[in-house]
Amino acid sequence: MQMTTPAALPADWRDLVALTKPRVMSLVVFTGLCGLLAAPVMPPLVIGFTAILCIALGAGAAGALNQWYEADLDAKMRRTANRPLPAGRLDRQTALHFGVGLASFSVILMELATNWLAALLLAASILFYVLIYTVWLKRRTAQNIVIGGAAGAFPPLIGWVAATGRIDLLPVLLFATIFLWTPPHFWALSLFVRSDYAAANVPMMPVVAGISATRRQIGAYSVIMAAAAIAPWPIGLTGWIYGIAAAGLGVVFVVFGFAVARSDATEPKQMGPEKRLFAFSILYLFILFAALVADRWLLA
Amino acid sequence: MIPGEEPKPEQEIVRARQRERAKIMAWLLGAFVILLFLITLAKIGMGK
Repeated sequence: MQMTTPAALPADWRDLVALTKPRVMSLVVFTGLCGLLAAPVMPPLVIGFTAILCIALGAGAAGALNQWYEADLDAKMRRTANRPLPAGRLDRQTALHFGVGLASFSVILMELATNWLAALLLAASILFYVLIYTVWLKRRTAQNIVIGGAAGAFPPLIGWVAATGRIDLLPVLLFATIFLWTPPHFWALSLFVRSDYAAANVPMMPVVAGISATRRQIGAYSVIMAAAAIAPWPIGLTGWIYGIAAAGLGVVFVVFGFAVARSDATEPKQMGPEKRLFAFSILYLFILFAALVADRWLLA
Repeated sequence: MIPGEEPKPEQEIVRARQRERAKIMAWLLGAFVILLFLITLAKIGMGK
């Protein structure tokens, strides 16, 4: 692996921003913010703002370190070939320093502004994404997304803990929801960009186990995920606003998941159900967490 | 680049990028100082 490409020019700030994967960050920030707003204790505005800022910076750092490590993979895939490192606009050492610096800063600031448990969880989420998912699992096993999904499930838990200083059952169920949401979300994507993953030799489920097995797994995970998302309502942790939203969205998710499971398309152009599930899964998470906050604020 | 225009010397581009980054860093550091000040006030208000 190439270690450093001395760049002729200093890094452009836009490339440093791109290194943080801003689009992925938006979902992380939103779920983190909802975790904080759903907590029974409301911290002062500046403390809440700083907690969300730290979650965003931590996610950005994890994204930067992921791109630093995967520059060779990104160069082989159409979807990622234009990122700053594979495109040669940034050298790897700058990306590494930027990622480590941002990660350290976000964890220290989180501890200063909120509490040590939130800072510990933020550090764990960054390390999990970089070391467990990126370095260890991604190139070795088709279960990479299943286990690695835990990294993306941390933000609502961190938001909650930043506000309350403790871990409760509701944020743990939110963690479980995102954890179980990740495989059908990513596998739907990996079905229609399968050739990219195969070319880069990444053992994603459709590449290793085949398209049919992936479709079955998507159907199964959709049901389990929908059940986990609804669970907080019957056990009395949320009110009817969240419960009805989770149930309605869950039904749609399962219908879309089963449409993928039943489909026999092999060409990306024919994969309408897969693209529909992928797009809906993002909307699903946004609406579900918005409903959680609405439930907490309107019914409290 | 406009056709016929001389290309910018590399040193000029390097300086421009350095200036741009220095300006952003100055703004970020300023914002950080204000944020720390506000966090301190909030912590004092919370009795911590």
